[in-house]
Amino acid sequence: MEISVSKQDLLKELTATQGVVERKTTIPILSNFLFEAAGDKLSITATDLDLSLRTNCPAKIKKEGSCTIPARKLYDYVKLLGDGEISIKLLENHWVQIRSGRSNTKMVGMARANFPALPLFPAESAIKLPAQVIRNLIAKTIFSISSEESRYTLNGALLVLKPESITMVATDGHRLAHVEHVNSKLPVSGEMKVLVPKKAMSELSSLLSSLLNSSDVQVVEFAKDESTLFFRLGSRILTSRQLTGQFPNYEAVLPRDNNKSVTIHCDEFSGAIQRVAQFADERSNAIRMRLEKDELKVSTSNTEIGESEDSIETSYNGDPMVIGFNSQYLLEFLKVVGTGDVRFEFKDAQSAGQLRPDEATDSEYKYRYIVMPMRI
Amino acid sequence: MSSGQRIIFHVDMDAFFVSVEELSNPSLKGKAVVVGGQRDERGVVSAASYEARKFGVHSAMPLRTAAKLCPHAIFLDGHPDLYRESSQKARAVLQNFSPAVEMASIDEAYVDMTGTEKLHGPPLKSAHKLHQQMKEKTGLNCSVGIGSSRLMAKICSDQAKPNGVLYIVPGMEQSFLAPLDVGRIPGVGKVTKAQLNQMGILRIGDLLRVEPSVLEDNFGKWGVALAGKARGEDAGGWFEDEVGADWQAKSISHEHTFAQDTRDVEKIESTLAHLSEMVGRRLRESNFSARTLQLKLRYSDFSTMTRAHSVPRPTQVDTEIFAAISKLFHDNWERGRAVRLLGVHASNFQDAPEQMDLLGVDEKQRKWTQALSATDRLRDKYGESAVFLAKGMAGTFRERVHENPAEKPGKPKQ
Repeated sequence: MEISVSKQDLLKELTATQGVVERKTTIPILSNFLFEAAGDKLSITATDLDLSLRTNCPAKIKKEGSCTIPARKLYDYVKLLGDGEISIKLLENHWVQIRSGRSNTKMVGMARANFPALPLFPAESAIKLPAQVIRNLIAKTIFSISSEESRYTLNGALLVLKPESITMVATDGHRLAHVEHVNSKLPVSGEMKVLVPKKAMSELSSLLSSLLNSSDVQVVEFAKDESTLFFRLGSRILTSRQLTGQFPNYEAVLPRDNNKSVTIHCDEFSGAIQRVAQFADERSNAIRMRLEKDELKVSTSNTEIGESEDSIETSYNGDPMVIGFNSQYLLEFLKVVGTGDVRFEFKDAQSAGQLRPDEATDSEYKYRYIVMPMRI
Repeated sequence: MSSGQRIIFHVDMDAFFVSVEELSNPSLKGKAVVVGGQRDERGVVSAASYEARKFGVHSAMPLRTAAKLCPHAIFLDGHPDLYRESSQKARAVLQNFSPAVEMASIDEAYVDMTGTEKLHGPPLKSAHKLHQQMKEKTGLNCSVGIGSSRLMAKICSDQAKPNGVLYIVPGMEQSFLAPLDVGRIPGVGKVTKAQLNQMGILRIGDLLRVEPSVLEDNFGKWGVALAGKARGEDAGGWFEDEVGADWQAKSISHEHTFAQDTRDVEKIESTLAHLSEMVGRRLRESNFSARTLQLKLRYSDFSTMTRAHSVPRPTQVDTEIFAAISKLFHDNWERGRAVRLLGVHASNFQDAPEQMDLLGVDEKQRKWTQALSATDRLRDKYGESAVFLAKGMAGTFRERVHENPAEKPGKPKQ
C-alpha cells in the first residue's frame, strides 16, 4: 500500500474515529486503525468489537492495499504535522512509513489479517431517519441510562419506530426519560423496537453534530440484522452490537393519576435546586420540596454542612405536601429542557413524579420525565 | 464536658440472664446456674449465677471447663427472646428517668441524668427510685454506678454489685481510683494490663506518676487517654461520645458453632440460611436496613476468616441477606475443609435518604418485608421455631446471646 492524503482530510476522519478506539484493551489489534486504500479513497476503520466506525477520505493511491497503525499514536503525530500532503507506505514486517515535508517516521503496525471482520451495511433494508430528530431524541434520554453493568438491559435506550412516530426511552430504574417525535413519516410497517447501547448513542450524537454542522446531509440511514445495528451518516458508518434482552415494561410505570401539579420556570427551578443542593447529603443528593399555597420551597439540611432553602412563587393551590428527590436527577432534566416552563406533577411522597416541558413551547416532541422520590 | 457538672448513671443488671431464668423458674434461686448450653456441649458460658461464679465460672469460658469447676451447677440453654424482652422493659424504665439512654449491651446502659435534679431529686435519691422501679417493672435487680463521667459510672456500678448504688461525688474521682487495679479501667485487657504491670504500673494511681510521654511512646494515643482515665475523665475512644448520641446498635450478628465440625454443604447452607433469618429478624425488630453483610468462617483448626459484601440496596430481608452470605461462603470456602463456626454479621445501617425504585424492585422488597414481619409476629406468639425459610429448616439450632457483645467495652474481665 502506498498513498498520499492531505493532512486536513486525514485529521478530520482520525478525530471522528478516536472515540471508538478501545483504550484499555487486552487485544492489541483493537488499538489500531485499519487503513484500506482502493480507487481514490482511503478507508479508515476502528473497532472495540462492540462498536465500530468506518469512514473514508479522498486520497491519491499509488498502490492499493491495506495496513494497521496504532491509532492514538498516529492521531497525536498527525496533529503535530504541518499542513500539506502526507504519504503513507507499508513496509516490511507491518511497519508503516509516514512522511510529510521534512518529517519522516516509521511506525510498528500489526498484520492486517488480525483485524476483526466487520458486518457489511445492509443498504437494501435501510430506513432514512431525520438526523436532527435523532440527535434531539438522544440528548433528551441519554442521561437517564443506567451505568450499572448488572442491569444489562438498562445500559441502553429503547428506540421504537412506527409509521408516524419515533420514540426513545431510557431508564436507570430510578427515573425514566420518554420522548416521542410525532411528525415523522417512516417506511415501517407496524412497530420496530431496538435497544441501542449508551456508547453507540453518544458516538452517534457526536457524529450527528459534526454532520449537521458541516454538510447538507440531513438523514441517518438506519438498518439492523440479528445482532448488529447500523447507522450511516454520509460516508461514515457506525455499527453497534445490539443489546439483547427485555427492556422493562415502561408503560406500566408511567403515572396516570398524578392529581397535583405546579408550573415553574425552568431557569428559576434549576437555579433554586443548584443553590440548595450545595448543602445536600453528598451521597444521596437529596433535597426536600414542600408545596404550599402559591409557593414551592426547596430545602436541604445537613448536620455537617448547614441548611439552605429557596422559595419559588407558584400558582399551586392543592393540598400541602412534602416530597424528597435526588437533586441531580431533576437538574439533568432541566438542563436538557433549558428554557421555558416545566410542569411538575405529583400524587404523593411515595409515588413517581412527572416533569414535562409546557406543551405550547415544545409541540413536535412529547417529552416526559418520570422520577421516583426519595424517602427523607 | 463544657459546662457544669455532669451526672452519669451506669445501670448494670445483676446476673441478668440467670435472673431472668429465675423469674420463670424460682426454684433456681440461690443455686449455681450456668446459661449457654449443656455441660457436655461445645460452646461457651453466656452467663453464670453468683453461686456458680464462686467456683470460678465466668462468661466466655468453655461449657466443659465450667462443668469441671462446678459439677453440681444447673446448665441451661437459655431463652434469648426472654432476655431481649426483659432488656426492653429495663430500657423503658430508664427512659422514665432521662431521655438520654444508651444501651451499651443487652444488660447495661448509660443514662445521662444531668439536669434532672428538679424532677427526680439528687443523684442518690433518684438512684434509689430507679432501683425500686426496676424491681417493680421487671422483677430484676440492678446495680447503679454514679459519677461525673461514663468511666466513673461504669467503675462504680462494678464496685456496687450486687444490687447496690455507689456515687463518687465530683472531686473525689482521683483518690477513689488510685488504689484500684489498672485492669479495672474499661478497655484495659489482659495484654495491656501485663504491659502496664511490666512498667511497674499496678494500680490506677500509678498511671499519674508516669510521664505522659512514656505512656504515649508505649501505647500511642491510647496511652495519653489512659492518664485522663486515671483522673476519672472520659478520655479517648468511644467513651468520649455523648450519652445517647449514638446509642443505636452499630451491627447485628449471630454465630453458630457446630456440635461436630462439618464439611456438609447442605448443612452449612441451611445453617447460614437460619443465621440470616435471625439477623433479618433483629434488623426488622430495630427497623434497620444493612448495607454491609459479613460472613465469619472458622475452620476446625480455629483459623478464622471474615469476608464482607456491600449490597447495592440496604436490606432487612432474610432471603437477600442469605443470597449475599451464601455467595460469600461459596467464593471463599476452601472446599472440603471442615467448618467449626459460622457467623452472619450485618452493619453499616441505612441512615441517608433512600432513593425509591421505579421498576418495582422496591415493591418486591416491600412485600418480602411485609411477609417477614408477619412471620415475626407468629414467632412472637408461638416461639422462635414457628416458621422457617425452607432452606433454614435443617439448620435450626438454639440461639445464643452474650451479655457483653465484643464491639462495646464490657465489664472488666478479671
